[in-house]
Amino acid sequence: MSGNYYSIDIWGLLVALAMVAVAAGISGLMRMGIGKTLLWSACRALLQLCAMGFIMAFVIHSGNPWFVLLLIAFMLIAAVQITLSRAKGVPKGLAGPVLLSLVLTMLIMMSLVTELVIRPHPWYAPQLVVPLTGMLLGNTVSATAVGLSRFFESMRERRDEVDTLLALGATAWEAARPSMVSSIRLGLMPTTASLASAGIVTVPGMMAGQIIAGGDPIDAAKYQFMVLASIAALTLLTDSIIMAMAYRKCFTSLDQYQPIAK
Amino acid sequence: MVEPMQYVFEASDMSCEVPEADSFKTIFEGLSFAIGRGEIVDLVGPSGSGKSSLLTAFAQLNPHARGSMKLDGRAADEFTPQQWRRQVAYLPQKALLTGSTVAEAIRLPWTLRIRNTDAGANRSSRLRRLFSRQSPDAQARTMLPDERIRATLDSIGCEDIDLDRAPHDLSGGQAARVSLARTLLTDPKVLLADEVDAGLDDENADKVATIMAQSAARGMAIIRIRHRPPDGRASRIITLDGGTLAEMYMTGQGNDRHNAQEARA
Repeated sequence: MSGNYYSIDIWGLLVALAMVAVAAGISGLMRMGIGKTLLWSACRALLQLCAMGFIMAFVIHSGNPWFVLLLIAFMLIAAVQITLSRAKGVPKGLAGPVLLSLVLTMLIMMSLVTELVIRPHPWYAPQLVVPLTGMLLGNTVSATAVGLSRFFESMRERRDEVDTLLALGATAWEAARPSMVSSIRLGLMPTTASLASAGIVTVPGMMAGQIIAGGDPIDAAKYQFMVLASIAALTLLTDSIIMAMAYRKCFTSLDQYQPIAK
Repeated sequence: MVEPMQYVFEASDMSCEVPEADSFKTIFEGLSFAIGRGEIVDLVGPSGSGKSSLLTAFAQLNPHARGSMKLDGRAADEFTPQQWRRQVAYLPQKALLTGSTVAEAIRLPWTLRIRNTDAGANRSSRLRRLFSRQSPDAQARTMLPDERIRATLDSIGCEDIDLDRAPHDLSGGQAARVSLARTLLTDPKVLLADEVDAGLDDENADKVATIMAQSAARGMAIIRIRHRPPDGRASRIITLDGGTLAEMYMTGQGNDRHNAQEARA
């Protein structure tokens, strides 16, 4: 890292908060009713980000791979919880499949992207591994939450079609496939959109951060592309793995359609 | 002299329990039924008596039903659910036609693996299928070309149905006949027709009944749920009411080769 790095002091944070407070005040005057939520969310985000900053600082300084693993494990469990609370109308008992597929894609990410492409020293370099994990999880969590909600909603809508397919001799997989395809597509739409708009409409967060921190913009672009591409691929993979494990919830062991209570 | 009847399909001890708030409601219990080749049996009874539940149970589509069933003397658990449903075909009341044309809707069963591999659920064939260059739609087209669909539709009096039309544009009667033709083309041994003629006018209902009678004449066993007055095509009428089955033989009309049968308990 070279160049200048501009630090923000406590007044900077207060200015940001004040901006949110002004926006909340305007919304209050116009009776839009979102001012309180906005202010509350902003305070929450400040606390969560500061906490993450302190924890990251601690983990980086400690140089202990176990702390890195512990932090990642915590992030994974939080990701499962957030996925399931965001997904609406899904059956119980999906925590296992969601955790399994997140862990699986995490491992692929770690081994391919981190250890094969970037090859940091030490191998667990927290300043690399933790943010990458965060970006991957952030993307897969929203994609799988949307995908799972859509899948079970679609299976409810397609009830008659599923029954007709089964009556004609379809397997559970064949009867569920149209719902799986449409829900994976829907879940992946923001990801493909972000790939398409990157560099034209948006300067993605990671690249922006690297440039602000004084990094080489070309380097930042390379990093950003690798992260976007691998996240897109791994999000598709996670979504597919979860669907392949979850579709059976709609069927009995005799391949009979089993409606899922909302 | 009555010789022992060879039944193509037998069911015994059929029961159905639907879960309610915190208990189970028994729809029927301990029902037995059998049907021979080429026989048409009508299933009647008040609505809510469980006629559809019984037919879906026969096709192993009903998650709330239990019982033991045999097809050609082989127990149901010797079949995979897909193999069973290929022979014991449930035809739902609502004609559900997918795809953009009638031809595509009729080919749907041939896009399924059960009709594309001999072994059925063989793992290596599943892999091979995954990587085979031919799509299921293309395979279905080779197995069931347009000409054969056309000929079949014509032979059962559906000259009025254009294969290139969107299923959405069909009239109720046409959709019901296309749905029936699709299942008949799969050539099951037992057809379970769930009120296929409901909502049709008398002319279309008669067309549907004629098509089924032709298949029965070629050996298909057919169970029909009906709400219309008897049309003389069934050899037996069975009433499901209060969880029990009552049989009535149609002597003097219909297929008189079944008249000599003894009533089964």
